Amino acid sequence: MSRKTLVAVSAVAALALGGGLAAALALTSGGTSTPAATVTGAGRLTTLLDGIEQHGTVLGSPSAPVTLVEFADPQCPYCAEWEARALPDVVTRYVRTGKVQLRFSGMTFVGADSETAFRTALAAGEQGRFWNVLTLLFANQGTENTGWVTDALLRSIGDSVPGLDTQKMLDARNSAAVDRGLSAAATLAQTAGIDSTPTFAVGKTGGTLQVVRLTSFDASGITPALDAALSQ
Amino acid sequence: MSDRRLRVAILVLSLLGAGIAAYLTAAHFADAPLLCATGGCETVQRSRYAELAGVPVAALGLAGYVAIAATAAARAELWRAAGFVFALGGLAFAGYLVWVQVGVLDAICQWCLSSDAILVLLVPATLLRLRETR
Repeated sequence: MSRKTLVAVSAVAALALGGGLAAALALTSGGTSTPAATVTGAGRLTTLLDGIEQHGTVLGSPSAPVTLVEFADPQCPYCAEWEARALPDVVTRYVRTGKVQLRFSGMTFVGADSETAFRTALAAGEQGRFWNVLTLLFANQGTENTGWVTDALLRSIGDSVPGLDTQKMLDARNSAAVDRGLSAAATLAQTAGIDSTPTFAVGKTGGTLQVVRLTSFDASGITPALDAALSQ
Repeated sequence: MSDRRLRVAILVLSLLGAGIAAYLTAAHFADAPLLCATGGCETVQRSRYAELAGVPVAALGLAGYVAIAATAAARAELWRAAGFVFALGGLAFAGYLVWVQVGVLDAICQWCLSSDAILVLLVPATLLRLRETR
């Protein structure tokens, strides 16, 4: 075999080897069962939430002295803005330090995509990853009611969350437990008289919570209320 | 460039790559946190793309680098061809993994990129050795 032929044959063999490995990985990771969607913020949000306790829809220590409830719709653009601008500070300064537990109460009035998104996050909550999936949904929010909450997006989001079994999450979306989580959130919002999102309520854990009027979509809009509740 | 210099270069590069791959493989099995300046190493390392049929992708990389290092020790043409096949094959696979990091996971693993840089150097080195030396 001439040297040129040997180089050509080797190159073809190499590309077959590399391509074969890539195809095998794409197949075994489920990457080809649905087209992969791009997920924004996975690295940043994984780092933000890493090591913080999660129990269902609650982020942070159950013994934190103050509770902050976020009433939000996964499709509401202002909710996504709050998540992007205020959440990192609130989590770092108040939740990670054990001062505040953050509870999400989902609302689904915008449309069908809201319910699909919230159901998926609740299903991830069964694996202790509610906040990972919820924050990624907000970070990758599409235009209201365009069907943006696709299985491909949910699969990509699930795949980017460390320790989450994506298929198990997708299978659990219509479980009785998720149904109960959905109706519990709806009842809470109705009882509290919440009619717009995002709305926040703050108070001593186990006590009566007060609705907070946001003055800003960055952390300074909520931190005075948290500091006041902590100093009570 | 002399065959001796190319062999040394290939050996040094592949041992560097093997070191990185060994670190990632050990962290995978120990489920230990990674030293990471880019913040995305954990996301990549614990993603569904970190294993192929139960074998850590990092372990595949380790096997590849050890194989390339072994070819540097041999002189026969077939071994030199094998070194080039492993290096270019590794780079092609690494290209897919970069796409996964950027396009699917939105998380960058600095260790993976360092390994990719080594492969970028190993491909011309092994090709030169295959084409130029006798």
